[in-house]
Amino acid sequence: MKIIPIALRNISRKRVRSAITIGSMAFAGFIMLFFAALGQGMLYTMEQNAVGVYLGDIQIHAPGYRSDPDLYTRVPDPAALVDKLEKAGFHAAPRLYGFGLAAASGNSSGIWMRGVDLIREPKVTLLDRQVMEGAWLSADKPKEVVIGKKLAYTLGVKPGGEIVVVSQAADGAMANDIYHVRGILKSVGDAVDQGGFLMVDAEFRRLMGVAEGTHEIAVARVDKDRILAEAADTVASLAPGMEVKTWRDLQPVLAKMIDVMDISLLFMLFIAYSAVGMVILNATLMNVFERIREFGVMKAIGVTPPQVFSLIMAEAVLEAVIANVLALGAGIPVVRYFEVHGIDLSNFSSGASLAGLALDPVWYCKLNTKALTMPVWFMFAVVLAAVIYPAMKAALLKPLDAMHHQ
Amino acid sequence: MDIPIIVLENVTKVYHQGKIDVTAIDGFSVTVNKGDFTALCGPSGSGKTTILNIIGALDVPTAGRVTLEGNDLAALSRTALSSMRRDRIGFVFQAYNLIPVLTAYENAEFVLALQGKPEKERRARVMEMLQEVGLEGLENRRPEELSGGQQQRVAIARAMVTQPAVILADEPTANLDSATAAALLTIMEHLNTVHGITFLFSTHDQRVMDRARRIITLRDGKLAGDERKG
Repeated sequence: MKIIPIALRNISRKRVRSAITIGSMAFAGFIMLFFAALGQGMLYTMEQNAVGVYLGDIQIHAPGYRSDPDLYTRVPDPAALVDKLEKAGFHAAPRLYGFGLAAASGNSSGIWMRGVDLIREPKVTLLDRQVMEGAWLSADKPKEVVIGKKLAYTLGVKPGGEIVVVSQAADGAMANDIYHVRGILKSVGDAVDQGGFLMVDAEFRRLMGVAEGTHEIAVARVDKDRILAEAADTVASLAPGMEVKTWRDLQPVLAKMIDVMDISLLFMLFIAYSAVGMVILNATLMNVFERIREFGVMKAIGVTPPQVFSLIMAEAVLEAVIANVLALGAGIPVVRYFEVHGIDLSNFSSGASLAGLALDPVWYCKLNTKALTMPVWFMFAVVLAAVIYPAMKAALLKPLDAMHHQ
Repeated sequence: MDIPIIVLENVTKVYHQGKIDVTAIDGFSVTVNKGDFTALCGPSGSGKTTILNIIGALDVPTAGRVTLEGNDLAALSRTALSSMRRDRIGFVFQAYNLIPVLTAYENAEFVLALQGKPEKERRARVMEMLQEVGLEGLENRRPEELSGGQQQRVAIARAMVTQPAVILADEPTANLDSATAAALLTIMEHLNTVHGITFLFSTHDQRVMDRARRIITLRDGKLAGDERKG
């Protein structure tokens, strides 16, 4: 039996009803595509905020540093380790950390100093692109620093402003100097916002008297499709004796949150499509009831129950195909637009953070494979589920009863 | 030599309508031979359509035995009955019952496609049959674009094209005017003569009875007469 041509003609037979059914499915598909892309965009942004802006995919520390971030607990010979990591398909950036006190304009605040490798850090994170005012660090201007947004507010400084820093150097002597604000970061996370004091790594070493070693090496996968856990194993094998953690280990709350959001997206899709499923069920049942005589005749002349079942299923699947084409045709350009422009919710959620990391108040869509395929598969699954009952009903009709149906 | 193709032995059919049992067929026995051109006559409610439905495996008797080409229908599975209807029986219904979304050609071809016949063979047989029933040039019309007589011819072509053992026609001329009915009967006679296909049709149309070579009469579900002409 030519199921597909007959199914297509049956769809075109009741044009208005088919249009309403397909339209409902397409509209739901469009909304779901947008919703899925927005959800993926949020997850991507959160992960990017965690990984791309701040953490890196993987971090290497000397044992004990994370529980007690001491100036003296350092990864030895970072240059050699970075070199090995780069040869193994990673970007790696050594970082130096220290604590101190900053004062400006009669205000003071504790600071978290960070010595940045200006060549390697941009390969691992996007921190250099988070400057809200002024400019990023420059190797030529070691006395100019970039600070966190809230720290700038606390100290009452703007780019060009002067800050006095006091700390204790590695040799126990007092470390102090005057720096000028070169740039102020936008919100990237509580710790950086409130105490972030970024300087060129060489200047950090000079100020704090740290000649060798580094406190942290942030690592990023060159190939982002490389499985994180496997990448961490590789890194661990290259850094024996060191503590190697993925961003998911470092930010478990955030990782869990992202996982939960990912699953909740599925639930949202299921709920929305359930409503669509009812529309499809209703339309298909009406369709079957109207054609009971026809199914009776078909069965009388030799069409088997599985063929009747397949015909109704084929009609529903074809409607779903058309609906998906329409949904993708309308949805992809819209999603693409919001990938670039985003939805600005800064009036409602400016400064919000999650697990210590800033949430971007501008929501961008992200059209990845998951956002694209999840609504499509969901629609097919719901359509098939909704059509099983009417299709079974038609398949199991007794031909004689069906032909006498009024 | 007569070859029995349909044998009904003491067939009874009782319908249960609420608490009332209605006996539609009551101990009916008959044998239809290969090549018969038989009319099943009787007033409305005499059980003609029920007999055709039972022979066509669309309904099951309450009691009695029905065999088609030696196969006991009661012993066949639902799938086997579907195959039997598809391959060995051709149906012509009073209300034509064509599939509305298919053209005349596709309706006639439908059962051949179900049988899995190759495209080339299907085309040759359908075109030949449409020609025989006088529907050349109307192949691409859908049922709604055909007159009642033309639709009934498509139904006959659909029933004939598989070269079944028997064609069961339920009041095939009931909805047709005299000229169309006569033309249709001529076609059926021709197909019966040329192809040797057995025809069994229910009717209370005198024009049909006049053309039938055997008339089986039913009254109140019982055999009231069995007359062979010539």
